[in-house]
Amino acid sequence: MYFDWITWSIWSLGFIILVMWIVIPLKEFFKLKKDRDEDS
Amino acid sequence: MAVIDIVIVLVFLGLTFVVGSFFYKWVGDPDDFMVAGRKLTPFILAAVIAATNVNLYSFIGQAGVAYKHGIAILWQTWTGNMAIVFSGLFIIPIMRRLRVKTIPEFLERRYDKRVRTLVGVLWIFRLAFWLGVVLYTAVVAAQAITGIESFAFWIFVFAIVAIVYTVLGGMWAIAFTDVIQFVFMLVGALIVLPMAMAAVGWMPGLIDKLPEHALTLVREEGTYNWKFILAIFLLGIQWASVDQGLLQRAFGAESTRTVAKGLVLAGIITTPFALLWNLPGLAAAVLYPGLENADQAIPILLADMLPSVVLGLVLCGLISSQLSTISGNLNGVATLFTNDIYESLRSRKATNKEVLMIARIMTGIVGIFMIGFAFLVPMLGGAVEAYLTVIGIMDMPLFIVAIVYGLLWKRATSTAALVGYLSGAAAGIIGKFFLGFDFNSTTFLGAAVALIVTPLVSMITKPESIEKLAIVWRAKTISDEEETSGDVYHIIPKTLKGRLAMTVFASGFILFLIGVFMGSGGFAMASWIAVIGMVIYFVGGLIRVYAE
Repeated sequence: MYFDWITWSIWSLGFIILVMWIVIPLKEFFKLKKDRDEDS
Repeated sequence: MAVIDIVIVLVFLGLTFVVGSFFYKWVGDPDDFMVAGRKLTPFILAAVIAATNVNLYSFIGQAGVAYKHGIAILWQTWTGNMAIVFSGLFIIPIMRRLRVKTIPEFLERRYDKRVRTLVGVLWIFRLAFWLGVVLYTAVVAAQAITGIESFAFWIFVFAIVAIVYTVLGGMWAIAFTDVIQFVFMLVGALIVLPMAMAAVGWMPGLIDKLPEHALTLVREEGTYNWKFILAIFLLGIQWASVDQGLLQRAFGAESTRTVAKGLVLAGIITTPFALLWNLPGLAAAVLYPGLENADQAIPILLADMLPSVVLGLVLCGLISSQLSTISGNLNGVATLFTNDIYESLRSRKATNKEVLMIARIMTGIVGIFMIGFAFLVPMLGGAVEAYLTVIGIMDMPLFIVAIVYGLLWKRATSTAALVGYLSGAAAGIIGKFFLGFDFNSTTFLGAAVALIVTPLVSMITKPESIEKLAIVWRAKTISDEEETSGDVYHIIPKTLKGRLAMTVFASGFILFLIGVFMGSGGFAMASWIAVIGMVIYFVGGLIRVYAE
Protein backbone atom coordinates (compact mmCIF):
# COMPACT_ATOMS: atom_id res chain seq x y z
CA MET A 1 0.00 0.00 0.00
CA TYR A 2 1.33 3.42 -0.95
CA PHE A 3 2.24 5.74 1.92
CA ASP A 4 2.29 9.44 1.03
CA TRP A 5 4.98 10.96 3.24
CA ILE A 6 4.26 14.53 2.19
CA THR A 7 0.52 14.48 2.93
CA TRP A 8 0.90 12.57 6.19
CA SER A 9 3.76 14.84 7.34
CA ILE A 10 1.54 17.89 6.85
CA TRP A 11 -1.32 16.01 8.55
CA SER A 12 0.93 15.04 11.49
CA LEU A 13 2.05 18.63 11.97
CA GLY A 14 -1.61 19.66 12.09
CA PHE A 15 -2.37 16.83 14.52
CA ILE A 16 0.48 17.84 16.85
CA ILE A 17 -0.81 21.44 16.83
CA LEU A 18 -4.32 20.10 17.57
CA VAL A 19 -3.18 18.08 20.59
CA MET A 20 -1.01 20.93 21.92
CA TRP A 21 -3.85 23.41 21.52
CA ILE A 22 -6.25 21.18 23.43
CA VAL A 23 -3.92 20.31 26.30
CA ILE A 24 -2.10 23.60 26.96
CA PRO A 25 -5.09 26.01 26.87
CA LEU A 26 -7.01 23.58 29.14
CA LYS A 27 -4.13 23.66 31.64
CA GLU A 28 -3.93 27.44 31.36
CA PHE A 29 -7.70 27.75 31.85
CA PHE A 30 -7.59 25.73 35.09
CA LYS A 31 -4.63 27.78 36.30
CA LEU A 32 -6.45 31.04 35.57
CA LYS A 33 -9.57 29.66 37.31
CA LYS A 34 -7.54 28.62 40.35
CA ASP A 35 -5.91 32.09 40.53
CA ARG A 36 -9.33 33.76 40.32
CA ASP A 37 -10.79 31.48 42.99
CA GLU A 38 -7.85 32.22 45.28
CA ASP A 39 -8.17 35.98 44.67
CA SER A 40 -11.82 35.95 45.57
CA MET B 1 -27.47 16.80 4.62
CA ALA B 2 -28.76 14.34 7.22
CA VAL B 3 -30.71 15.30 10.36
CA ILE B 4 -27.83 14.05 12.54
CA ASP B 5 -25.47 16.63 10.95
CA ILE B 6 -27.92 19.45 11.68
CA VAL B 7 -28.22 18.18 15.27
CA ILE B 8 -24.39 18.20 15.57
CA VAL B 9 -24.27 21.80 14.34
CA LEU B 10 -27.02 22.92 16.74
CA VAL B 11 -25.33 21.12 19.67
CA PHE B 12 -22.05 22.83 18.75
CA LEU B 13 -23.75 26.25 18.66
CA GLY B 14 -25.35 25.47 22.04
CA LEU B 15 -21.96 24.45 23.47
CA THR B 16 -20.38 27.69 22.20
CA PHE B 17 -23.23 29.63 23.80
CA VAL B 18 -22.83 27.85 27.16
CA VAL B 19 -19.02 28.17 27.24
CA GLY B 20 -19.18 31.84 26.23
CA SER B 21 -21.82 32.66 28.82
CA PHE B 22 -19.83 30.86 31.57
CA PHE B 23 -17.38 33.78 31.51
CA TYR B 24 -20.06 36.29 32.60
CA LYS B 25 -18.83 36.03 36.18
CA TRP B 26 -15.23 36.63 35.08
CA VAL B 27 -16.12 40.13 33.86
CA GLY B 28 -15.83 42.58 36.73
CA ASP B 29 -14.59 45.74 35.01
CA PRO B 30 -14.15 47.24 31.50
CA ASP B 31 -10.62 45.80 31.16
CA ASP B 32 -12.04 42.29 31.68
CA PHE B 33 -14.66 42.94 28.99
CA MET B 34 -12.37 44.59 26.45
CA VAL B 35 -8.98 42.93 26.93
CA ALA B 36 -9.68 39.90 29.20
CA GLY B 37 -8.13 41.70 32.18
CA ARG B 38 -4.83 41.58 30.22
CA LYS B 39 -4.28 38.04 31.49
CA LEU B 40 -4.19 35.94 28.29
CA THR B 41 -1.30 33.47 28.19
CA PRO B 42 0.83 32.76 25.06
CA PHE B 43 -0.97 29.58 23.87
CA ILE B 44 -4.45 31.00 24.43
CA LEU B 45 -3.43 34.22 22.68
CA ALA B 46 -1.98 32.24 19.75
CA ALA B 47 -5.21 30.24 19.31
CA VAL B 48 -7.24 33.45 19.55
CA ILE B 49 -5.12 35.23 16.92
CA ALA B 50 -5.11 32.15 14.65
CA ALA B 51 -8.91 31.87 14.92
CA THR B 52 -9.22 35.56 13.97
CA ASN B 53 -6.81 35.08 11.08
CA VAL B 54 -8.69 32.09 9.64
CA ASN B 55 -12.28 32.48 8.44
CA LEU B 56 -14.62 31.07 5.83
CA TYR B 57 -12.70 32.96 3.16
CA SER B 58 -9.71 30.74 3.98
CA PHE B 59 -11.62 27.47 3.71
CA ILE B 60 -13.82 28.32 0.75
CA GLY B 61 -12.52 31.47 -0.99
CA GLN B 62 -8.79 30.79 -0.76
CA ALA B 63 -9.18 27.09 -1.52
CA GLY B 64 -11.30 28.23 -4.49
CA VAL B 65 -8.39 30.36 -5.72
CA ALA B 66 -6.08 27.34 -5.30
CA TYR B 67 -8.60 25.39 -7.41
CA LYS B 68 -8.47 28.01 -10.16
CA HIS B 69 -4.93 29.45 -10.03
CA GLY B 70 -2.84 26.92 -8.11
CA ILE B 71 -0.91 26.70 -4.87
CA ALA B 72 0.72 30.19 -5.10
CA ILE B 73 -2.30 31.65 -3.21
CA LEU B 74 -0.77 30.05 -0.09
CA TRP B 75 1.45 33.12 0.13
CA GLN B 76 -1.56 35.22 1.09
CA THR B 77 -1.72 33.33 4.40
CA TRP B 78 2.02 32.68 4.73
CA THR B 79 3.09 36.31 4.23
CA GLY B 80 0.24 37.31 6.58
CA ASN B 81 1.77 34.95 9.15
CA MET B 82 5.23 36.44 8.55
CA ALA B 83 3.69 39.88 9.07
CA ILE B 84 2.08 38.77 12.35
CA VAL B 85 5.48 37.55 13.56
CA PHE B 86 7.14 40.83 12.49
CA SER B 87 4.48 42.92 14.16
CA GLY B 88 4.58 40.72 17.27
CA LEU B 89 8.34 41.15 17.62
CA PHE B 90 8.65 44.85 16.84
CA ILE B 91 5.38 46.82 16.88
CA ILE B 92 2.59 45.46 19.08
CA PRO B 93 4.80 45.13 22.21
CA ILE B 94 5.12 48.95 22.14
CA MET B 95 1.31 49.35 22.09
CA ARG B 96 0.92 46.79 24.88
CA ARG B 97 3.38 48.77 27.02
CA LEU B 98 1.25 51.89 26.59
CA ARG B 99 -1.74 49.83 27.89
CA VAL B 100 -4.02 51.13 25.14
CA LYS B 101 -7.13 49.20 24.08
CA THR B 102 -7.47 50.62 20.56
CA ILE B 103 -5.34 52.18 17.82
CA PRO B 104 -7.30 55.48 18.11
CA GLU B 105 -6.32 55.57 21.81
CA PHE B 106 -2.68 55.22 20.77
CA LEU B 107 -3.21 58.06 18.28
CA GLU B 108 -4.28 60.39 21.07
CA ARG B 109 -1.23 59.43 23.14
CA ARG B 110 1.05 60.16 20.18
CA TYR B 111 -0.89 62.99 18.49
CA ASP B 112 -4.13 64.50 19.82
CA LYS B 113 -7.85 63.95 20.41
CA ARG B 114 -8.85 65.06 16.88
CA VAL B 115 -6.88 62.23 15.28
CA ARG B 116 -8.29 59.75 17.81
CA THR B 117 -11.92 60.78 17.22
CA LEU B 118 -11.65 60.84 13.41
CA VAL B 119 -10.04 57.40 13.17
CA GLY B 120 -12.33 56.02 15.93
CA VAL B 121 -15.52 57.06 14.10
CA LEU B 122 -14.27 55.70 10.76
CA TRP B 123 -13.31 52.38 12.35
CA ILE B 124 -16.72 52.00 14.00
CA PHE B 125 -18.44 52.27 10.60
CA ARG B 126 -15.84 50.06 9.00
CA LEU B 127 -16.19 47.24 11.53
CA ALA B 128 -20.00 47.47 11.78
CA PHE B 129 -20.41 47.08 8.02
CA TRP B 130 -17.76 44.38 7.87
CA LEU B 131 -19.72 42.47 10.52
CA GLY B 132 -22.77 42.46 8.24
CA VAL B 133 -20.68 41.07 5.39
CA VAL B 134 -19.16 38.36 7.62
CA LEU B 135 -22.58 37.32 8.93
CA TYR B 136 -23.99 37.26 5.41
CA THR B 137 -21.12 35.01 4.22
CA ALA B 138 -21.69 32.59 7.11
CA VAL B 139 -25.40 32.40 6.32
CA VAL B 140 -24.86 31.77 2.59
CA ALA B 141 -22.37 28.97 3.35
CA ALA B 142 -24.69 27.36 5.92
CA GLN B 143 -27.59 27.52 3.44
CA ALA B 144 -25.53 25.88 0.68
CA ILE B 145 -24.12 23.08 2.82
CA THR B 146 -27.11 22.21 5.04
CA GLY B 147 -29.85 22.69 2.49
CA ILE B 148 -31.86 24.74 5.04
CA GLU B 149 -32.73 27.68 2.82
CA SER B 150 -34.19 30.12 5.36
CA PHE B 151 -31.96 33.22 5.37
CA ALA B 152 -33.59 34.63 8.51
CA PHE B 153 -33.18 31.33 10.43
CA TRP B 154 -29.40 31.24 9.95
CA ILE B 155 -28.96 34.97 10.55
CA PHE B 156 -30.70 34.72 13.91
CA VAL B 157 -28.96 31.47 14.91
CA PHE B 158 -25.46 32.89 14.22
CA ALA B 159 -26.14 36.41 15.43
CA ILE B 160 -27.92 35.49 18.65
CA VAL B 161 -25.25 32.98 19.72
CA ALA B 162 -22.42 35.45 18.99
CA ILE B 163 -24.17 38.53 20.45
CA VAL B 164 -25.25 36.84 23.70
CA TYR B 165 -21.92 35.30 24.59
CA THR B 166 -20.01 38.48 23.62
CA VAL B 167 -22.36 40.72 25.66
CA LEU B 168 -22.08 38.44 28.69
CA GLY B 169 -18.47 37.32 28.70
CA GLY B 170 -16.68 39.99 26.60
CA MET B 171 -13.09 39.22 25.63
CA TRP B 172 -12.86 36.36 28.15
CA ALA B 173 -15.71 34.56 26.36
CA ILE B 174 -14.24 35.39 22.96
CA ALA B 175 -10.81 34.06 23.94
CA PHE B 176 -12.02 30.67 25.16
CA THR B 177 -14.66 30.16 22.47
CA ASP B 178 -11.92 31.06 19.96
CA VAL B 179 -9.76 28.26 21.40
CA ILE B 180 -12.65 25.76 20.99
CA GLN B 181 -13.41 27.09 17.52
CA PHE B 182 -9.74 26.81 16.52
CA VAL B 183 -9.80 23.14 17.58
CA PHE B 184 -12.96 22.49 15.53
CA MET B 185 -11.46 24.22 12.47
CA LEU B 186 -8.34 22.07 12.76
CA VAL B 187 -10.38 18.85 13.23
CA GLY B 188 -12.42 19.72 10.13
CA ALA B 189 -9.29 20.37 8.05
CA LEU B 190 -7.57 17.18 9.33
CA ILE B 191 -10.58 15.09 8.28
CA VAL B 192 -10.84 16.59 4.79
CA LEU B 193 -7.13 16.53 3.77
CA PRO B 194 -6.47 12.74 3.64
CA MET B 195 -9.87 12.01 2.07
CA ALA B 196 -9.31 14.56 -0.70
CA MET B 197 -5.71 13.44 -1.30
CA ALA B 198 -6.63 9.74 -1.38
CA ALA B 199 -9.28 10.48 -4.00
CA VAL B 200 -6.68 11.96 -6.39
CA GLY B 201 -4.02 9.30 -5.81
CA TRP B 202 -2.14 11.20 -3.09
CA MET B 203 0.69 13.63 -3.91
CA PRO B 204 2.04 11.74 -6.99
CA GLY B 205 -1.49 11.73 -8.43
CA LEU B 206 -1.84 15.45 -7.82
CA ILE B 207 1.55 16.19 -9.44
CA ASP B 208 0.68 13.96 -12.37
CA LYS B 209 -2.78 15.39 -13.03
CA LEU B 210 -2.24 19.13 -12.49
CA PRO B 211 -0.32 21.49 -14.81
CA GLU B 212 3.16 22.41 -13.50
CA HIS B 213 2.29 26.05 -12.75
CA ALA B 214 -0.53 24.95 -10.39
CA LEU B 215 2.08 23.49 -8.04
CA THR B 216 4.66 26.29 -8.37
CA LEU B 217 4.78 28.48 -5.28
CA VAL B 218 6.79 31.40 -6.67
CA ARG B 219 5.62 32.06 -10.20
CA GLU B 220 7.11 34.25 -12.89
CA GLU B 221 3.75 34.97 -14.55
CA GLY B 222 0.06 34.85 -13.71
CA THR B 223 -2.19 36.71 -11.26
CA TYR B 224 -0.47 35.27 -8.19
CA ASN B 225 3.14 35.83 -9.31
CA TRP B 226 6.25 37.00 -7.40
CA LYS B 227 5.06 40.64 -7.39
CA PHE B 228 1.86 39.54 -5.67
CA ILE B 229 3.96 37.94 -2.90
CA LEU B 230 5.85 41.19 -2.22
CA ALA B 231 2.70 43.35 -2.37
CA ILE B 232 0.68 41.08 -0.09
CA PHE B 233 3.58 40.91 2.40
CA LEU B 234 3.66 44.73 2.67
CA LEU B 235 -0.11 44.87 3.04
CA GLY B 236 0.17 42.13 5.68
CA ILE B 237 2.58 44.22 7.78
CA GLN B 238 0.12 47.11 7.62
CA TRP B 239 -2.81 44.82 8.55
CA ALA B 240 -0.97 43.18 11.44
CA SER B 241 -0.04 46.61 12.82
CA VAL B 242 -3.37 48.47 12.78
CA ASP B 243 -6.27 45.99 12.56
CA GLN B 244 -8.50 46.53 15.59
CA GLY B 245 -9.86 42.94 15.65
CA LEU B 246 -6.34 41.52 15.78
CA LEU B 247 -4.78 44.13 18.04
CA GLN B 248 -7.48 44.11 20.68
CA ARG B 249 -6.91 40.39 21.23
CA ALA B 250 -3.16 41.00 21.41
CA PHE B 251 -3.68 43.76 24.00
CA GLY B 252 -5.26 41.09 26.21
CA ALA B 253 -1.84 39.47 26.72
CA GLU B 254 -0.62 39.15 30.32
CA SER B 255 2.72 40.86 29.56
CA THR B 256 4.76 42.48 26.80
CA ARG B 257 6.73 39.27 26.32
CA THR B 258 3.47 37.28 26.06
CA VAL B 259 2.35 39.51 23.17
CA ALA B 260 5.52 38.63 21.28
CA LYS B 261 5.29 34.91 22.15
CA GLY B 262 1.58 34.67 21.33
CA LEU B 263 1.91 36.39 17.96
CA VAL B 264 4.99 34.40 16.93
CA LEU B 265 3.20 31.15 17.83
CA ALA B 266 0.03 32.27 16.01
CA GLY B 267 2.01 32.99 12.84
CA ILE B 268 3.78 29.65 12.99
CA ILE B 269 0.76 27.41 13.67
CA THR B 270 -1.34 28.90 10.89
CA THR B 271 1.41 28.10 8.35
CA PRO B 272 0.98 24.29 8.08
CA PHE B 273 -2.74 24.82 8.78
CA ALA B 274 -2.97 26.78 5.48
CA LEU B 275 -1.79 23.68 3.58
CA LEU B 276 -4.63 21.70 5.16
CA TRP B 277 -7.25 23.81 3.41
CA ASN B 278 -5.40 24.68 0.18
CA LEU B 279 -4.40 21.13 -0.81
CA PRO B 280 -8.08 20.03 -0.90
CA GLY B 281 -8.64 23.00 -3.23
CA LEU B 282 -6.01 21.54 -5.59
CA ALA B 283 -7.54 18.06 -5.25
CA ALA B 284 -10.92 19.54 -6.21
CA ALA B 285 -9.31 20.89 -9.42
CA VAL B 286 -8.53 17.28 -10.37
CA LEU B 287 -11.84 15.81 -9.19
CA TYR B 288 -14.26 18.48 -10.43
CA PRO B 289 -12.57 20.37 -13.29
CA GLY B 290 -14.32 23.21 -15.10
CA LEU B 291 -16.52 24.60 -12.32
CA GLU B 292 -17.75 28.06 -13.29
CA ASN B 293 -17.63 29.36 -9.73
CA ALA B 294 -14.40 28.28 -8.02
CA ASP B 295 -15.92 29.06 -4.60
CA GLN B 296 -18.14 26.02 -5.08
CA ALA B 297 -15.13 23.66 -5.24
CA ILE B 298 -14.88 22.96 -1.49
CA PRO B 299 -18.65 22.81 -0.73
CA ILE B 300 -19.03 20.31 -3.61
CA LEU B 301 -16.05 18.27 -2.39
CA LEU B 302 -17.45 18.19 1.17
CA ALA B 303 -20.97 17.25 0.13
CA ASP B 304 -19.61 14.58 -2.23
CA MET B 305 -17.03 12.94 0.02
CA LEU B 306 -17.96 13.23 3.64
CA PRO B 307 -20.33 10.78 5.28
CA SER B 308 -22.95 11.89 7.81
CA VAL B 309 -21.65 12.90 11.25
CA VAL B 310 -18.23 13.70 9.73
CA LEU B 311 -19.90 16.33 7.55
CA GLY B 312 -21.56 17.77 10.67
CA LEU B 313 -18.17 18.01 12.44
CA VAL B 314 -16.51 19.67 9.44
CA LEU B 315 -19.40 22.11 9.19
CA CYS B 316 -18.87 23.03 12.86
CA GLY B 317 -15.27 23.88 11.91
CA LEU B 318 -16.45 26.13 9.08
CA ILE B 319 -19.03 27.86 11.31
CA SER B 320 -16.37 28.28 14.01
CA SER B 321 -14.17 30.27 11.69
CA GLN B 322 -16.95 32.78 11.13
CA LEU B 323 -18.26 32.96 14.71
CA SER B 324 -14.82 33.91 16.03
CA THR B 325 -14.60 36.75 13.50
CA ILE B 326 -18.11 38.00 14.36
CA SER B 327 -17.61 37.96 18.15
CA GLY B 328 -14.18 39.64 17.94
CA ASN B 329 -15.40 42.45 15.71
CA LEU B 330 -18.54 42.98 17.85
CA ASN B 331 -16.32 43.44 20.87
CA GLY B 332 -14.01 45.67 18.79
CA VAL B 333 -16.78 48.10 17.83
CA ALA B 334 -18.12 48.22 21.40
CA THR B 335 -14.60 48.96 22.66
CA LEU B 336 -13.98 51.65 20.04
CA PHE B 337 -17.25 53.40 20.87
CA THR B 338 -16.91 53.18 24.64
CA ASN B 339 -13.20 53.91 24.76
CA ASP B 340 -12.73 56.47 21.99
CA ILE B 341 -16.09 58.22 21.64
CA TYR B 342 -18.22 57.86 24.79
CA GLU B 343 -15.47 58.49 27.33
CA SER B 344 -14.06 61.47 25.44
CA LEU B 345 -17.52 63.09 25.14
CA ARG B 346 -18.10 63.03 28.89
CA SER B 347 -17.12 65.99 31.04
CA ARG B 348 -16.33 63.77 34.07
CA LYS B 349 -14.60 60.42 34.09
CA ALA B 350 -17.11 57.59 33.81
CA THR B 351 -17.13 54.93 36.52
CA ASN B 352 -16.03 51.37 35.72
CA LYS B 353 -19.59 50.11 36.19
CA GLU B 354 -20.93 52.72 33.77
CA VAL B 355 -18.28 51.99 31.11
CA LEU B 356 -18.92 48.23 31.37
CA MET B 357 -22.66 48.77 31.00
CA ILE B 358 -22.19 51.03 27.95
CA ALA B 359 -19.81 48.49 26.35
CA ARG B 360 -22.40 45.72 26.82
CA ILE B 361 -25.25 47.86 25.51
CA MET B 362 -23.12 48.88 22.51
CA THR B 363 -22.30 45.23 21.76
CA GLY B 364 -26.05 44.52 21.64
CA ILE B 365 -26.82 47.58 19.49
CA VAL B 366 -24.00 46.83 17.05
CA GLY B 367 -25.25 43.24 16.91
CA ILE B 368 -28.67 44.52 15.82
CA PHE B 369 -27.03 46.75 13.18
CA MET B 370 -25.03 43.73 12.02
CA ILE B 371 -28.26 41.79 11.44
CA GLY B 372 -29.67 44.78 9.53
CA PHE B 373 -26.54 45.10 7.38
CA ALA B 374 -26.56 41.36 6.67
CA PHE B 375 -30.10 41.68 5.26
CA LEU B 376 -28.92 44.66 3.18
CA VAL B 377 -25.82 43.01 1.69
CA PRO B 378 -27.63 41.04 -1.07
CA MET B 379 -29.39 44.24 -2.18
CA LEU B 380 -26.19 46.31 -2.26
CA GLY B 381 -24.36 44.12 -4.78
CA GLY B 382 -21.43 46.04 -6.24
CA ALA B 383 -21.71 48.69 -3.55
CA VAL B 384 -20.35 46.23 -1.01
CA GLU B 385 -17.23 45.65 -3.09
CA ALA B 386 -16.80 49.40 -3.55
CA TYR B 387 -17.24 50.00 0.16
CA LEU B 388 -14.67 47.34 1.06
CA THR B 389 -12.26 48.86 -1.47
CA VAL B 390 -12.64 52.26 0.20
CA ILE B 391 -11.99 50.59 3.55
CA GLY B 392 -8.83 49.01 2.13
CA ILE B 393 -7.76 52.41 0.84
CA MET B 394 -8.14 53.93 4.31
CA ASP B 395 -5.89 51.41 6.08
CA MET B 396 -2.56 52.12 4.41
CA PRO B 397 -2.53 55.88 5.24
CA LEU B 398 -3.40 54.93 8.84
CA PHE B 399 -0.37 52.61 8.95
CA ILE B 400 1.88 55.41 7.60
CA VAL B 401 0.60 57.97 10.08
CA ALA B 402 0.28 55.76 13.17
CA ILE B 403 3.19 53.35 12.82
CA VAL B 404 5.77 54.71 10.36
CA TYR B 405 5.74 58.37 11.45
CA GLY B 406 4.05 57.83 14.83
CA LEU B 407 6.77 55.51 16.11
CA LEU B 408 9.80 56.48 14.05
CA TRP B 409 9.74 60.27 13.64
CA LYS B 410 9.30 62.61 16.60
CA ARG B 411 8.77 65.68 14.41
CA ALA B 412 5.47 64.32 12.96
CA THR B 413 2.68 66.57 14.28
CA SER B 414 -1.02 66.05 15.01
CA THR B 415 -2.22 68.35 12.22
CA ALA B 416 0.17 66.63 9.79
CA ALA B 417 -1.17 63.22 10.88
CA LEU B 418 -4.74 64.40 10.26
CA VAL B 419 -3.93 65.96 6.87
CA GLY B 420 -1.63 63.08 5.85
CA TYR B 421 -4.27 60.48 6.71
CA LEU B 422 -7.12 62.26 4.94
CA SER B 423 -5.05 63.14 1.85
CA GLY B 424 -3.75 59.56 1.57
CA ALA B 425 -7.30 58.20 1.77
CA ALA B 426 -8.54 60.83 -0.73
CA ALA B 427 -5.73 59.96 -3.17
CA GLY B 428 -6.66 56.29 -2.92
CA ILE B 429 -10.31 57.04 -3.65
CA ILE B 430 -9.36 59.22 -6.66
CA GLY B 431 -7.00 56.52 -7.95
CA LYS B 432 -9.64 53.81 -7.67
CA PHE B 433 -12.81 55.58 -8.78
CA PHE B 434 -11.56 58.31 -11.12
CA LEU B 435 -8.30 56.98 -12.56
CA GLY B 436 -9.33 53.30 -12.70
CA PHE B 437 -6.29 51.97 -10.80
CA ASP B 438 -6.31 48.35 -9.62
CA PHE B 439 -6.32 47.54 -5.89
CA ASN B 440 -2.53 47.28 -5.48
CA SER B 441 -1.77 50.55 -7.33
CA THR B 442 -4.55 52.35 -5.41
CA THR B 443 -3.21 51.20 -2.06
CA PHE B 444 0.34 52.23 -2.92
CA LEU B 445 -0.82 55.62 -4.24
CA GLY B 446 -2.60 56.31 -0.91
CA ALA B 447 0.51 55.25 0.98
CA ALA B 448 2.81 57.43 -1.16
CA VAL B 449 0.64 60.53 -0.68
CA ALA B 450 0.47 60.00 3.10
CA LEU B 451 4.24 59.42 3.15
CA ILE B 452 4.91 62.73 1.35
CA VAL B 453 2.19 64.98 2.83
CA THR B 454 2.74 64.11 6.52
CA PRO B 455 6.37 65.34 6.74
CA LEU B 456 5.63 68.41 4.57
CA VAL B 457 2.80 69.54 6.87
CA SER B 458 4.85 68.59 9.96
CA MET B 459 7.60 71.03 8.96
CA ILE B 460 5.20 73.98 8.90
CA THR B 461 3.28 73.11 12.09
CA LYS B 462 4.19 73.28 15.77
CA PRO B 463 6.09 70.25 17.12
CA GLU B 464 4.38 67.99 19.70
CA SER B 465 5.27 68.44 23.36
CA ILE B 466 8.46 66.72 24.52
CA GLU B 467 6.65 65.16 27.53
CA LYS B 468 4.04 63.49 25.33
CA LEU B 469 6.66 62.10 22.96
CA ALA B 470 8.78 60.89 25.86
CA ILE B 471 5.96 58.55 27.01
CA VAL B 472 5.65 56.93 23.57
CA TRP B 473 9.42 56.72 23.02
CA ARG B 474 9.94 55.15 26.47
CA ALA B 475 7.47 52.41 25.49
CA LYS B 476 9.92 51.34 22.82
CA THR B 477 12.30 50.15 25.50
CA ILE B 478 10.47 49.43 28.77
CA SER B 479 7.25 49.82 30.76
CA ASP B 480 6.54 50.31 34.48
CA GLU B 481 5.17 46.74 34.61
CA GLU B 482 8.40 45.32 33.22
CA GLU B 483 10.54 47.52 35.45
CA THR B 484 8.69 46.22 38.53
CA SER B 485 8.69 42.56 37.49
CA GLY B 486 12.25 42.61 36.08
CA ASP B 487 11.04 40.67 33.00
CA VAL B 488 11.93 43.11 30.24
CA TYR B 489 11.28 42.26 26.60
CA HIS B 490 13.96 43.99 24.54
CA ILE B 491 12.75 44.80 21.03
CA ILE B 492 16.40 45.12 20.04
CA PRO B 493 17.92 42.14 21.89
CA LYS B 494 20.65 42.72 24.45
CA THR B 495 21.92 39.16 24.99
CA LEU B 496 24.12 37.08 22.67
CA LYS B 497 21.36 34.46 22.30
CA GLY B 498 18.85 37.17 21.41
CA ARG B 499 21.21 38.70 18.85
CA LEU B 500 21.95 35.33 17.29
CA ALA B 501 18.20 34.67 17.03
CA MET B 502 17.74 38.04 15.35
CA THR B 503 20.52 37.18 12.90
CA VAL B 504 18.75 33.91 12.05
CA PHE B 505 15.47 35.81 11.68
CA ALA B 506 17.02 38.44 9.37
CA SER B 507 18.86 35.76 7.33
CA GLY B 508 15.59 33.91 6.84
CA PHE B 509 13.95 37.09 5.63
CA ILE B 510 16.78 37.81 3.16
CA LEU B 511 16.63 34.22 1.86
CA PHE B 512 12.85 34.55 1.45
CA LEU B 513 13.34 37.75 -0.59
CA ILE B 514 16.07 36.09 -2.71
CA GLY B 515 13.68 33.21 -3.45
CA VAL B 516 10.88 35.60 -4.43
CA PHE B 517 13.16 37.66 -6.71
CA MET B 518 14.57 34.46 -8.27
CA GLY B 519 10.96 33.55 -9.06
CA SER B 520 10.82 36.65 -11.29
CA GLY B 521 13.39 34.93 -13.54
CA GLY B 522 11.59 31.59 -13.48
CA PHE B 523 14.37 29.72 -11.59
CA ALA B 524 13.34 26.18 -10.65
CA MET B 525 14.67 26.43 -7.09
CA ALA B 526 13.00 29.79 -6.33
CA SER B 527 9.99 28.28 -4.50
CA TRP B 528 12.18 26.08 -2.30
CA ILE B 529 14.50 28.98 -1.40
CA ALA B 530 11.56 31.24 -0.50
CA VAL B 531 9.93 28.53 1.66
CA ILE B 532 13.22 27.65 3.40
CA GLY B 533 13.75 31.37 4.02
CA MET B 534 10.28 31.62 5.56
CA VAL B 535 10.92 28.61 7.82
CA ILE B 536 14.27 30.09 9.00
CA TYR B 537 12.48 33.43 9.61
CA PHE B 538 9.92 31.65 11.85
CA VAL B 539 12.61 29.66 13.68
CA GLY B 540 14.57 32.88 14.33
CA GLY B 541 11.41 34.55 15.67
CA LEU B 542 10.61 31.58 17.91
CA ILE B 543 14.13 31.41 19.37
CA ARG B 544 14.04 35.18 19.81
CA VAL B 545 10.97 35.12 22.09
CA TYR B 546 11.66 31.87 23.95
CA ALA B 547 15.43 31.63 24.34
CA GLU B 548 16.38 35.08 25.58
